[in-house]
Amino acid sequence: MSPPEPDNVELEVLLSRCARQDHRALSELYKKVSPYLLALLLRVLRTRDLAEDALQDVFVRAWRQAGQFEARRGRALAWMVSISRYCAIDMLRGRQAWVGLEGLSEVSVSAARAGSTLTQRALEHCLNLLSGDQHHCLVLAYQQGLTPDNIATSLGYPLGTVKSWVRRALSSLRRCLDP
Amino acid sequence: MNYERAELREQLAGAYVVGTLRGPARLRFARACAGSQNLRSSVHRWEDQLLPLLEGVAPVLPRARVWHKIRWRTGGRLTAPLTRKQSWRWALAGGLALSLGILVSVRVLYSPLQVVAAVGQDRMHPLWTVSRSADSNIMEIRALQNVQSNSRSAYELWALPGQGTSPVSLGLLPRTGTIKRRLSIVERGAMLRSNRLAVSLEPLGGSSTGAPTGPILILSDVRHST
Repeated sequence: MSPPEPDNVELEVLLSRCARQDHRALSELYKKVSPYLLALLLRVLRTRDLAEDALQDVFVRAWRQAGQFEARRGRALAWMVSISRYCAIDMLRGRQAWVGLEGLSEVSVSAARAGSTLTQRALEHCLNLLSGDQHHCLVLAYQQGLTPDNIATSLGYPLGTVKSWVRRALSSLRRCLDP
Repeated sequence: MNYERAELREQLAGAYVVGTLRGPARLRFARACAGSQNLRSSVHRWEDQLLPLLEGVAPVLPRARVWHKIRWRTGGRLTAPLTRKQSWRWALAGGLALSLGILVSVRVLYSPLQVVAAVGQDRMHPLWTVSRSADSNIMEIRALQNVQSNSRSAYELWALPGQGTSPVSLGLLPRTGTIKRRLSIVERGAMLRSNRLAVSLEPLGGSSTGAPTGPILILSDVRHST
């Protein structure tokens, strides 16, 4: 069920053309990644209208900040996915005070460049070390944008317990992913 | 707050990326990132390392109007958004549909639900969540991904009450979106007695025998609240 992941090098070229205000590049970028991003947005926002509104914002932001990406960031798909997720989270929580990070970075992520398969294997391995509850809470928060309050209500656990699970899950993942 | 402490930085960056860092703390952290290379590196490391959790979703084609609006907002070849007259028509139609929907399903919509099962072949990529109301009268099934199958088959959900009792169909699983409906007495009873749910592959329209006819593809635990 996995879709082919858009080619990062190709996306980086398109973003660099967007930075030069090339509308044709924006069109190509949209064709390549919009179905993937819309699926992610739908998972968080759940309604098509809302997800498509968010998708608009994602591409407008990408268009405006493409120059910063070209100069400073490594991985095109991760960059666009991050814009999408933060946009969806803020929309879901009724906030417009989004502060973009993507234009500020100067990082090269060597693990990510090594290929998603290795990254995925490492993540799978580390997720399997979490308790079932820690894992479940983390996935609900990350994949669906649920807050600890939402998760606590849905699963019937105290809020403090859910927060503690997420905190421990993050600590455990960090130790495992970067030993 | 000393964001440069490695352990705190990683914890906050992880919570920021996962989305559990909220409200003013989220804003403060995002602003702090502007002045700290270490913070930005932590955020981007989390973003890249967690990215595989988002793989496995099936692409969904946006409607044409989305692109038109993006073109318009980015100053491309102008494709005007809906005219005022068109907008009113759509708003009126949407309003009527919404009103009818509310009248028909207000009871179902406003029943608080608890997730009782995450259904999937592996823990990393649940395909559906199954939720039910506190009185177990309402069930909601949400597709977390755009689930694909060939055009002649469907996925059917079964409650497995155990102890020699036959599986009870809980209906077909949605490939996208959410199904929310009232359970029959039989379904409700089966759901309450079941510790596991199964997903079988069935002909389009579902099993015609009242029992699974195709292979069982998934078995998932049911979480009963205490």
